[in-house]
Amino acid sequence: MSSLDAAQPARVLVTRRLAFLAAVVAIALLPLVFTDTYWRTNLIVCAINVMLAIGLDFVLGYAGQLNLGQSAFYGLGAYASTLLIMRLGVPFWIAFAAAVAFAGAAGIVLSLFAMRLRGHYLAVASLGFAVITYQVLLNWISLTQGPLGIYAIPPPPALALPGLPAIGFRNLANLFYLVAGCALLSYALLDQLIRSPIGEALTAIREDEVSAAALGINGAAWKVFAFGVGSAVAGAAGCFYAAFVGTLVPDAFFITESFTILAMVVVGGMGTLIGPVWGAILLTLLPEVLRGIGDLRLVVYGAALTLVVLFMPGGIAQAARLVLARLRPERQPELLR
Amino acid sequence: MTIVLQQVINGVVLGSLYVLVALGLTLVYGVLVQINFAHADVVTLGAFSAYFFIHGAGGGYVASIAVAFAVGAALGWLMNAAIFAPLRERGNELLPLIATIGVSVMLENAMLAVFGPIPYAFDSPLSNDVIRFAGTFITLQNVLIIAVSVATIALLYAFMKFTFLGKALRAVSQDRETAGLMGIDPDRLVMLTFVIASALAGMAGAMLGPVLVLTPFAGTSVIVKAFAIVIIGGFGNVEGTILAGLMVGLIESYTTQYLGPGMIDIVVFALLLVMLAVRPTGLIAEKREENV
Amino acid sequence: MSAVLAADQPAPAASLLLRAEGLSKNFGGVRAVRDISLSVPAGAIFAVIGPNGAGKSTLLNLLSGIFRPDAGTVTFGGVDLTPLPAHRRARHGIARTFQKIRLFRHLTALDNVVAGFHIHCRIPAWQYVVHGAAFRKNHARCREEAARLLAFMGLERRLHVEAGALSYGERRMLEIARALATAPRLLMVDEPAAGLNAAEVEALLERLQMLRRQGLTILIVEHNMDLVMTVADRVLVIDYGQHLFEGPPAAVQAHPGVIAAYLGGAAQ
Repeated sequence: MSSLDAAQPARVLVTRRLAFLAAVVAIALLPLVFTDTYWRTNLIVCAINVMLAIGLDFVLGYAGQLNLGQSAFYGLGAYASTLLIMRLGVPFWIAFAAAVAFAGAAGIVLSLFAMRLRGHYLAVASLGFAVITYQVLLNWISLTQGPLGIYAIPPPPALALPGLPAIGFRNLANLFYLVAGCALLSYALLDQLIRSPIGEALTAIREDEVSAAALGINGAAWKVFAFGVGSAVAGAAGCFYAAFVGTLVPDAFFITESFTILAMVVVGGMGTLIGPVWGAILLTLLPEVLRGIGDLRLVVYGAALTLVVLFMPGGIAQAARLVLARLRPERQPELLR
Repeated sequence: MTIVLQQVINGVVLGSLYVLVALGLTLVYGVLVQINFAHADVVTLGAFSAYFFIHGAGGGYVASIAVAFAVGAALGWLMNAAIFAPLRERGNELLPLIATIGVSVMLENAMLAVFGPIPYAFDSPLSNDVIRFAGTFITLQNVLIIAVSVATIALLYAFMKFTFLGKALRAVSQDRETAGLMGIDPDRLVMLTFVIASALAGMAGAMLGPVLVLTPFAGTSVIVKAFAIVIIGGFGNVEGTILAGLMVGLIESYTTQYLGPGMIDIVVFALLLVMLAVRPTGLIAEKREENV
Repeated sequence: MSAVLAADQPAPAASLLLRAEGLSKNFGGVRAVRDISLSVPAGAIFAVIGPNGAGKSTLLNLLSGIFRPDAGTVTFGGVDLTPLPAHRRARHGIARTFQKIRLFRHLTALDNVVAGFHIHCRIPAWQYVVHGAAFRKNHARCREEAARLLAFMGLERRLHVEAGALSYGERRMLEIARALATAPRLLMVDEPAAGLNAAEVEALLERLQMLRRQGLTILIVEHNMDLVMTVADRVLVIDYGQHLFEGPPAAVQAHPGVIAAYLGGAAQ
């Protein structure tokens, strides 16, 4: 993808800011358009999946590491926050912060283990990590209550802002604003990182780690960083999941979840940050739209993943670029990052 | 003492099946430097095709193993032709891996939709006959498993070491370009490797059917251990894989006895992660430093 | 397979920038590099030559930190680099290119060079997340400098082309531009002239000489002797992983052992 010459950056900045504004407006309007519980639930699940997807994309698409353990960090975040809240009475947002930190730390630990490993070894190691985590969650009954699950998990506490009525989160619209807001914040954070020298370092490592090292870029350190960030975001998603669903069972974090998130990232387009957002939205909502396929949801994911890799490896983002290039041959949209 | 011997027997039985599955993975990795995540599903499909051959077509058990072998071979050819061959030119390490994940997810859930989640009772006529010795017992099924596995592994080993094709395979895995220049067609060899690897997997599936719970996810439970074996033994390393497979089989046997079946995955994977941290190239390490 | 024959002509004592002593490297039984020492004076163009398979690339990999030596040390500007991995050596001021060009193929030429400025980026950590003034200044400065380096290497018209789409000669120049972005004290180039036509080689050598005049020390690995003789101040000849001779170019050309190595005659 060519970058633009000096005349363009101003226009690009405006376009980016407009897009961000459009996203905020869309988030604000969605619960007003979809007022029934069913669709609002779907929107919240979308927002959670967006967070999971962009977290993985940071590690896979930018640092170039095939992390199949995202389900583990998701689950660790969910269980950590839930146990803190329900067993130790820790207030929600403190538990949230602790769980995010915990998930991030787990990501760092896995990454340190896998530091010397090439692509395939890392993939298998992360898968192994996901399997172990799942088994631990399943079997450590005294801690997690295993397959029986943890019930009656409260939603986040109502926000009392001065001068306004309290914003309760049993209301699905409010909960959506909260989760989608966090997803947007996570996106903005990752986007800023990617556009900074950190992003340049990660891209260099992904493209060619050996010559990146010759330029002074410490591949191992940045990969650990990427893992930490990606898993922290997954942990946050886990916290919201628990608070939203109200019940927590280990099956929600089986390794299939890792594959689903992978599908969202790849189908959306792993070379960009916005791609996985579309991938998450599409793969979350598609089965709901095509009611008939309900049980075949995973077959569709698998097929989508395979076909995208074979025929359009850049995913939706690549397809969008191609379409836009046809329509406006003189301008390359830098927006699609 | 008899318990120990019993554990050893169980371990060897399991181990030999894992070796059959893991050998396929390691062979493919050796020539392609790629992991095929869908390998597991070949095992499962092998089991199902054996099952339906017996219960649907009224065939015999031993014949069903041959059927599963053939089905596996066909699947291997198909996967190579549809996925690995087209992706080879792209030069991206991760894309083929991801594609196989997609295929695996697709196959498993398609099988789930067609066969349903309820386990199939795959009874081998040999499961009930038992040989007793030294205070232990071993079913004829297990004897068959060991016999077939050992024979297959020995044949494969001999093939790799002594025949021209086998040597050609090793040549391609070490230096593809040069092998090509020496008159070996790497693409056909890769296809052959896939076919052999998947045939082994299918066959293993037919023998695993009576031993494991036969659901569309039967392969997954095995594959995850097969990965561990391949890593512990060293990717592309046949001797290491055999050793590691038997080791994992024994570990599983002992863990089930003393720690409970729920801990198997944890123990095996913990071992795997330790291996990766300490000696990523495997038990019988092949250090490959490359000039850049 | 001769050992050191006539005595080396030692380098002038004045400021040796890079010193290697007794470097050895085995690859599972193959002794790629055996007990090689060299001294590169600051501000010089130092060539390492030898026939194919002599161990030149391995030597370079040892110097730049991709391999750990089985024996021997590497000292740079008085600092012992031997325990340091490659990326740390770059921070001390060693840059290099690769025999098989290693660029970031999907990035533009400009972005490739910008990556080289990474190690000298000095902005407060929080500005990685919220892009403040220091960030923007750094961002703009990096791109200006990168454009300048690319212009120096003759690529001013190719700034926004993907590296993978450049011609072979352009990619060679880009690799050097990117290495220069790290503001090195020593630039090591691995077979830079391979695959270039005569005009491109000419342009390359011209630039290396300009860089030397600006104070950069250059180590160049080549197997083409003629090319190197025009440009080098000192030459190290190696063969079969061993030190053959080190001295000024004229002395090298007359050295019987060197001639034997290249032409395959019997060495004494």
